[in-house]
Amino acid sequence: MPPLSNHYAAMEAEIGQWMASGGPGFGDWMLRVHRFQRENNPVYRAFCAGFPEPDRWQDIPAVPVSAFKTADIRSFPAGQTIRTFETSGTTGGRPGRHHFCSLALYLQAATRGWILAGLPAGSLLAIIPHAREAPHSSLSQMAAWLGLRDRFFFNRREELFLELAASPRVVLFGTALAFLDFFTWMGDRSLVLPEGSLAVETGGYKGARRELPKAELYRQFQERLGLPPEFVWNEYGMTELSSQFYTRGVGRPHLSPPWARGLVVDPSTGREVNEGESGILRLFDVANLGSVCAIQTRDLAIRRGEDFELIGRDPAALPRGCSLLAEELLT
Amino acid sequence: MKTAERAEGLARAASHFPELHPPTARDLLECVRLELGHEEILDGFQLYGSHLSMAIAPEVILHILSGNTPHAALQTLLRGLLLGSHNLVKLPACGLGAFERFFDWLPAPLAAKIETSRQLEGEWIPRANAWVVFGNDDTVAALRGQCPPGIPFQSHGHKLSLGVVLDDPELKSCPLAARDVSLFDQMGCLSPHVIYVRGDVGKYAAGLAQEMEKFQISHPAAPLSTAAMAEVAHCRADWEFRAVVAAGIKLWKGEGWTVVLEDSEEFPVSPLHRFVFVKPLPPGFPDCLGKIAAHFGGLGLWPATPGNAMRFAGAGFSRICAMGRMQETPMTWHADSRQNLASLVRWVDFHP
Repeated sequence: MPPLSNHYAAMEAEIGQWMASGGPGFGDWMLRVHRFQRENNPVYRAFCAGFPEPDRWQDIPAVPVSAFKTADIRSFPAGQTIRTFETSGTTGGRPGRHHFCSLALYLQAATRGWILAGLPAGSLLAIIPHAREAPHSSLSQMAAWLGLRDRFFFNRREELFLELAASPRVVLFGTALAFLDFFTWMGDRSLVLPEGSLAVETGGYKGARRELPKAELYRQFQERLGLPPEFVWNEYGMTELSSQFYTRGVGRPHLSPPWARGLVVDPSTGREVNEGESGILRLFDVANLGSVCAIQTRDLAIRRGEDFELIGRDPAALPRGCSLLAEELLT
Repeated sequence: MKTAERAEGLARAASHFPELHPPTARDLLECVRLELGHEEILDGFQLYGSHLSMAIAPEVILHILSGNTPHAALQTLLRGLLLGSHNLVKLPACGLGAFERFFDWLPAPLAAKIETSRQLEGEWIPRANAWVVFGNDDTVAALRGQCPPGIPFQSHGHKLSLGVVLDDPELKSCPLAARDVSLFDQMGCLSPHVIYVRGDVGKYAAGLAQEMEKFQISHPAAPLSTAAMAEVAHCRADWEFRAVVAAGIKLWKGEGWTVVLEDSEEFPVSPLHRFVFVKPLPPGFPDCLGKIAAHFGGLGLWPATPGNAMRFAGAGFSRICAMGRMQETPMTWHADSRQNLASLVRWVDFHP
């Protein structure tokens, strides 16, 4: 495999240093990464031909998230691909594919983003498939990076229950659907996890047989595991991104790491909505160096200052989401 | 009231909604005659073969309406009142807009035969002798489970409609296709998602785009919710991206409408709201559409000759019509390929 180009490697190293420093400069970095991608990503360059050169990060052309299904989006030669993650369930057809020539920035975004969100490292249990069983799952890879190693209890409910009953302080990580499945399996049983424990749920229920409003799911965390809503976190991410956004409890905005931002835009004009208004969520991620740094999601959100409160996918959108990975494997 | 009197009162009330192509009293009675055999067969015994027969309408019909179009709502209510039944009408949560004024135009004896609610009242279920349900497949399945055994259950689920242009070098059908797509903002089950064209498909798509714009100026689309706007915006962005990376794709758009030219055989489901695809007619049409055929609704055809209609008669459509008439369903049409009055009544025979 040919080595990474000097330009890519240099950009990656610089971005990594900046992310580690926690310093300002998000807008400048976004524009630099955008220019890099415009030069080195032929698909994105063709897409950008219909847009003026942006002067500010908010105007960087965002590809629709479905573009990852339609085309191979790389800002590096295809021969340098070392890993490809794929989106979970869709209504058929080709999954979305996110190619990487280096996992360095993804690793840094996942691990540092976790810490910056205030989540503790260590004592993690996951109810998602191990990366060995789901090599194309970015979520499983992320869990492996977070130090879970072999503490994966996907589809091993009895073992998980016994582990939780015996564990000291624990952080439980899984898809919303996997949690719901576990709670259903628990029947009348319940646990009270030790003080300091918390849960991180991710993904929705799209395409699955079951669905539960977030408030109801969080009520079950309290009833089944003794975790009040403020000890339950939501991780919002997607295969097509390298960074994640976190919130805790119900009705609070998702917070961005310093190297990523969400912009809520009016779908009819593409311009940012006013504070408190809803629109379609556009994500900007400096760490997404190898593909594109600006992605338009199918999710609706409410603008909350520089952050966003997630509403979720509108009912007409195609079903997809991390939770379906678990659901597919369950069936 | 006799059937003829009901037909007169219904036709007068419906005439206040010209956009819904209201039937005349004669149309309504013709519907009774065609489906039940005699205009007065709901009023008393009529000759029926070698004996006499009378159609007995359900005492109470429960109608569960969807918010898609007022047209289907009007027709099902007209049928229920024409039969002489009492009608329990569950309106969609979003209401039916101006159509709800229909009740005000009815003669008092007919107006008294309607009860409405935006929720499905629990006490309605044991009262109903027949159900007519509009909605998506999940809604229909859930309601079917609530319907007591032995009660006629007439369902109208999701359908996919399309247009086929076999020969139109002068683009005469473009304004008609634009009308079919745009009426009711494409929300009806008879609204086409795709127009398949034999001939210069690119020229047709451009012509259709022009006509979509004209129709938008004369009949502006209704304002969209943020969620609907987001879905349309996403689909536009998706196809604009595809147009960049693949050959044979082009998109035209204006305020309130979108036309996408695309040359694959795949049947793309439109996000609605005047978002239509134009594709070349594939050689194996319609068999090449596979599973989609199970959901066929209406086919708008150009030119609409009997010979052309026969080509598609067995394909699964319940309505084949001339382009431009897709939304103009007469009272006598076989919605979902069945007789909709006949499937609600029961019969009593008298053999003297």
